[in-house]
Amino acid sequence: MTQTINVRIQRFNPDVDRKPHFQEFPLEAEQGMTVLDALHKIKTEVDGSVTYRRSCRHAICGSCAMHVNGANTLVCNKPLSEAIDGKGQVTIQPLPYLPIIKDLVVDRSSFWEQYERVRPWLIPNGVTTDKEFRVSQEEVKALQDAEKCIMCGACYSSCQVIAMNKRYIGPHALLKAFLRVMDPRDAAPRERLEDLAGGDGVYRCHTIFNCIDACPKNLNPTAAIETLRKLVIRRIAFEDERKARQAKLLEPTE
Amino acid sequence: MYKSTGFISFFLRRFTGVALVLYLFLHMWVIGSIMQGVEVFDARMEFLQGPVFKVMEVALLAAVVYHAFDGLRLLLVNWFNIADYRKSMFYAVFAISALLTIVGGVPIIMVAIQGH
Repeated sequence: MTQTINVRIQRFNPDVDRKPHFQEFPLEAEQGMTVLDALHKIKTEVDGSVTYRRSCRHAICGSCAMHVNGANTLVCNKPLSEAIDGKGQVTIQPLPYLPIIKDLVVDRSSFWEQYERVRPWLIPNGVTTDKEFRVSQEEVKALQDAEKCIMCGACYSSCQVIAMNKRYIGPHALLKAFLRVMDPRDAAPRERLEDLAGGDGVYRCHTIFNCIDACPKNLNPTAAIETLRKLVIRRIAFEDERKARQAKLLEPTE
Repeated sequence: MYKSTGFISFFLRRFTGVALVLYLFLHMWVIGSIMQGVEVFDARMEFLQGPVFKVMEVALLAAVVYHAFDGLRLLLVNWFNIADYRKSMFYAVFAISALLTIVGGVPIIMVAIQGH
């Protein structure tokens, strides 16, 4: 079953255009197509100059986050049938609030800078043990699936605070900081929380919830930020608890 | 522009917040005038009895009610971790604010029209 639809793509060529404009492409939508399939079809059959990022096509790499019909999403797992609006058209724009490089490709430099700023890697306690560090079920549950984040930038570019202030750490990096702070293997939660306590940190969030709306993995950065806010206040006690937890690992077992 | 209920609630929250701060200065301008004598205070109160200020009084009520209930909504969402209900709670806050503005605003306008 096919249906003729209208795909509106925001175009911008920095060499020619002064500002972005829309171009419409009629398309025979087939059953089972995704929005990315539609973009591929247009690029291969109609206009090869249409520019976008994509890689894995399985909602894992996070390259293809775009603004479809007014909402951020991964175009690779967005069914075209769900994206068609009442007028029989699909509007595809680049992620908002970020500088456009060309067409649907945006400059994510600020996104990665903020990511590096929170030191997204694990800081070990320097003690080598002769067995694995066993994390309890409760400790895994407390991470709230934050490890499932694929760094697509959908939350970052939906954030109204980011729109106004690029120095804000952003929901993606705060979620990653949350993951590391809550990780019982991490040895520097106090240091991390002190970095997040500043004016660009957790208190800059205005609880707008756009990040939850935008996340294609159904994660909840707002709840993570709220947890960090509570931990920032009791960071010294939290580090002591962490040390006690890690010391327990080294105790001999029967 | 990322359109969402979250954005609308944030815009209204910020707008009403700034409006309430500005109102505070107006309020101090009126109340503070008692230091300059009863006549000055009465003159300023008389100035505020005009129809424009009556409408602004209703707007002030709307701003206070919305700002308070939206703040309460955020506290509840964060405290009980119920972000799944954020949108329905926003609609509820909007409805409660509209209702209380009507309930409180109608008498203000009626008094302004009838003069007592």
